[in-house]
Amino acid sequence: MTLKGGTSQACAACKYRRRKCSSKCPLAPYFLPDQPKLFQNAHKLFGVSNILKILKNLEPRQKEEAMRSIIYQSNIRDKFPVHGCWGIICQLHYQIRQAEEELHAVHSQLDMYKQYQQHQISSLTDDAPSQLELGMATPSNALSIFGHPTTPQPYNAVTTSPVTQQHSYSNSNNAGYSCGYLDSKDHLGNSWWVQHTYATTNNNNNNNTNPMAIQSQLVASQPLAIQQEVVQDYDEIHPFFDTIDDRQSYIDSKEAYESSSEESLKDTIQSIEQVAENELKSAAACFSLTSVN
Amino acid sequence: MASSSYSNSPCAACKFLRRKCLPDCIFAPYFPPEEPQKFANVHKIFGASNVSKLLNEVLPHQREDAVNSLAYEAEARMKDPVYGCVGAISVLQRQVIRLQKELDATNADLIRYACNEMPPTSFGRSSRMGHGGSSSSASYDQNSALYYPPPWNNDAQERGDHGSI
Repeated sequence: MTLKGGTSQACAACKYRRRKCSSKCPLAPYFLPDQPKLFQNAHKLFGVSNILKILKNLEPRQKEEAMRSIIYQSNIRDKFPVHGCWGIICQLHYQIRQAEEELHAVHSQLDMYKQYQQHQISSLTDDAPSQLELGMATPSNALSIFGHPTTPQPYNAVTTSPVTQQHSYSNSNNAGYSCGYLDSKDHLGNSWWVQHTYATTNNNNNNNTNPMAIQSQLVASQPLAIQQEVVQDYDEIHPFFDTIDDRQSYIDSKEAYESSSEESLKDTIQSIEQVAENELKSAAACFSLTSVN
Repeated sequence: MASSSYSNSPCAACKFLRRKCLPDCIFAPYFPPEEPQKFANVHKIFGASNVSKLLNEVLPHQREDAVNSLAYEAEARMKDPVYGCVGAISVLQRQVIRLQKELDATNADLIRYACNEMPPTSFGRSSRMGHGGSSSSASYDQNSALYYPPPWNNDAQERGDHGSI
């Protein structure tokens, strides 16, 4: 009997059932003679009559798809006699749940990194203007009031406007201290994290690189450096503000500067007088020279 | 597990088949008379004789799971005569592959943040639902032992999702 496709061999279904395979055999296109196992599986699960019932009310294009799904389902049932496709679906649900949990964890970690970077950027921008206020604030004003050119500028700046400097100090202190506090907190967290990572890596003989382990090691190194910088800045700032914290010492220093300012005025007057005298002398010299002629 | 063999009422299978429910009825423990639709679906799709043969081939403690899986597949085939439960498998496998791709991309972003690099439009990439082969997907691609590819590749995607469960 000829099949659709031009071969004279009976289809696997007709071969199994030992029947004549006509040209109108409905199962011939789907069960080729060289694949007997496919039909055996389908026959075992569904049976020929049930397969034909399923195909009966479908369109030709749908019949092809339906047969493919029937063959697939039968093969899975042959592989897994107890659970079949239901077991595959349960496994897939489990994999999806695991992947979603892992994705959620990675997303939360990514958010943490993002917040950390934003905090780094904001702390750097906050530190810059405060240092400017401390180091460069009104040196000309300081000189004009006290008139002492050899007085160090930052110290003058501090003594001239203690209120503003306290304000700027508080700003910088808050920025630096909060940054330091956070860094110390992160540092503590990261140190635990690093220890935990080292413990796991020590226990784990696997050579596969764990991205989370790599990240923790990389992150742990950063806040340590930041914390050291903040501590250094704090040490530099601190002795300057010991003077303004003590009011009596400030008053005493002010009196000292006032007295020293009087002396400096005298010096300037003397210098001006000397300059005027020199000019007179030079003018006189010119006069004498011309008079000779 | 309901056991109608200890009661006078026949099991759902014997009721449907209109036969005497014997004490050693293989269907009785798994098809209680309170759930007639369960056996009706299984019988319509697979046939009582096939189910009986299948149950005899598995161990007694596995029979309940086997019956439940057959009932699930039968109901799926009733709802969707073309794809049955295979449609759900196809949808779930695509979802797994998509999640794995998203996971790979997010892990790559995480590593870049850890190295103090700003990822370019990383969050737009994670929300994209793309399909197609990716060499980065490790656990859920064709090389995985847990991957059971459905009998079609992209034809079902072109026709749209057909999960009926």
